[in-house]
Amino acid sequence: MNKDNIVSVKKIEDDYSVVLSYEVVWDIDKVTFVPNATDNADYQTVQAWAAIDGNTIAEAD
Amino acid sequence: MALTLHGTVSDNTVVLDRRSAKPLIINGDMQVAQRATSVTGITASGFHTVDRMNLAISSFGTWTQTQDTTVPTAKGFTKSLKMDCTTAETSPSAGDYLAFQAKIEAQDLQMLKYGTSSAEALTLKFYVRSPKTGTHIVHFYSPDGNRHISKAYTISSADTFQEVIINIPGDTGGTINNDNGLGFNIEWYFGAGSNSTSGTLATSWASYVNANVAVGQVNCADSTDNNFFITGIQLEVGEFDVDSIPPFQHESFKDNLERCQRYYQNQGNNFFGRTEGTTKFYFQVPFPVEMRTSPSITARGTGFKFSARYQGTDYLQDNPSISSAIGNEDGCWLGVTGSGLTNGVTIYGRGNRDKEGRFLALSAEL
Repeated sequence: MNKDNIVSVKKIEDDYSVVLSYEVVWDIDKVTFVPNATDNADYQTVQAWAAIDGNTIAEAD
Repeated sequence: MALTLHGTVSDNTVVLDRRSAKPLIINGDMQVAQRATSVTGITASGFHTVDRMNLAISSFGTWTQTQDTTVPTAKGFTKSLKMDCTTAETSPSAGDYLAFQAKIEAQDLQMLKYGTSSAEALTLKFYVRSPKTGTHIVHFYSPDGNRHISKAYTISSADTFQEVIINIPGDTGGTINNDNGLGFNIEWYFGAGSNSTSGTLATSWASYVNANVAVGQVNCADSTDNNFFITGIQLEVGEFDVDSIPPFQHESFKDNLERCQRYYQNQGNNFFGRTEGTTKFYFQVPFPVEMRTSPSITARGTGFKFSARYQGTDYLQDNPSISSAIGNEDGCWLGVTGSGLTNGVTIYGRGNRDKEGRFLALSAEL
């Protein structure tokens, strides 16, 4: 996963508002569910994407 | 039958040269390609075809990557990883790069004793076929201590497989954490911009300096006639030469695949769960091999069918839409959108009948 291909990111939470994963929409019409786990390489990519000015991780529905 | 041991004999004790029961480089013979066997139009980094072999690329042409059958003659290999240039890059910018990467988990490298006076040497062997003669670079990066070392080798004949052996000294000043993170990132360069070629090649272990990574690397992307190949990668603990290095450890396809599945799996051919409401299934998908960490979960594009046994009949759906997914190292739990369902009914199902029905891509790569 490359941060350049990410269109949007949304949190997925449990009933106690704990973030379980992130729903990542790509520019090639794919969706990846990235776990909230720091040793997952895609988690690091999501955080790098979120650190770019103008990018925001949306709150859970 | 004669038993030939590879090692040294002293005081009636046989010391075997090989220090690890399994190859340190997983899928070094390029046998396993779970994602695809050929991908066109590649301009971005990632694992495209052969497992465990990442492509690192930044603005360095356009490529077709293939799990190929072009191999060195009579070496026992049947597959290689091929890159075919379809758009050339003759003048790379400063920050551009083109390299294969093989990443090794840190806890699998503890026998190297890095950071001690007993740090072990390594020997890397591989077969490479390059379109360019001249200097090529192999780079070892150890992120826990932010250390690196590069070694140059010379391709003497273009478009011909060449056996390469690289000796890497032990890093007495290094650190490799005992965890599931990245221990080594081994990189085979095929092109590099000035940001990583403008210094002095780091031929001894040192703190990472980008300018010292790939000094002298020739550009293998300067023509659409260019193809390059690699296979037979092995990494041995100890210092060997062409005569003393142990032979490549050929694993069964099953063993090779299972080791690859710690980092990537295609799954989803068998699952069970229940309906919740009238528009959603929830499924459990157990993993056959424990993954390195909780994986990222992606539906593998369109073209997949999905069938579930539901109240005595088959519920069929093309291109299932995953609406939620969570997992850990052992399995995952999916929400899949459907329609016209009855709440609270137990269901079980499968993807297509063949292995392509495994509609989930699970990634826990380093």
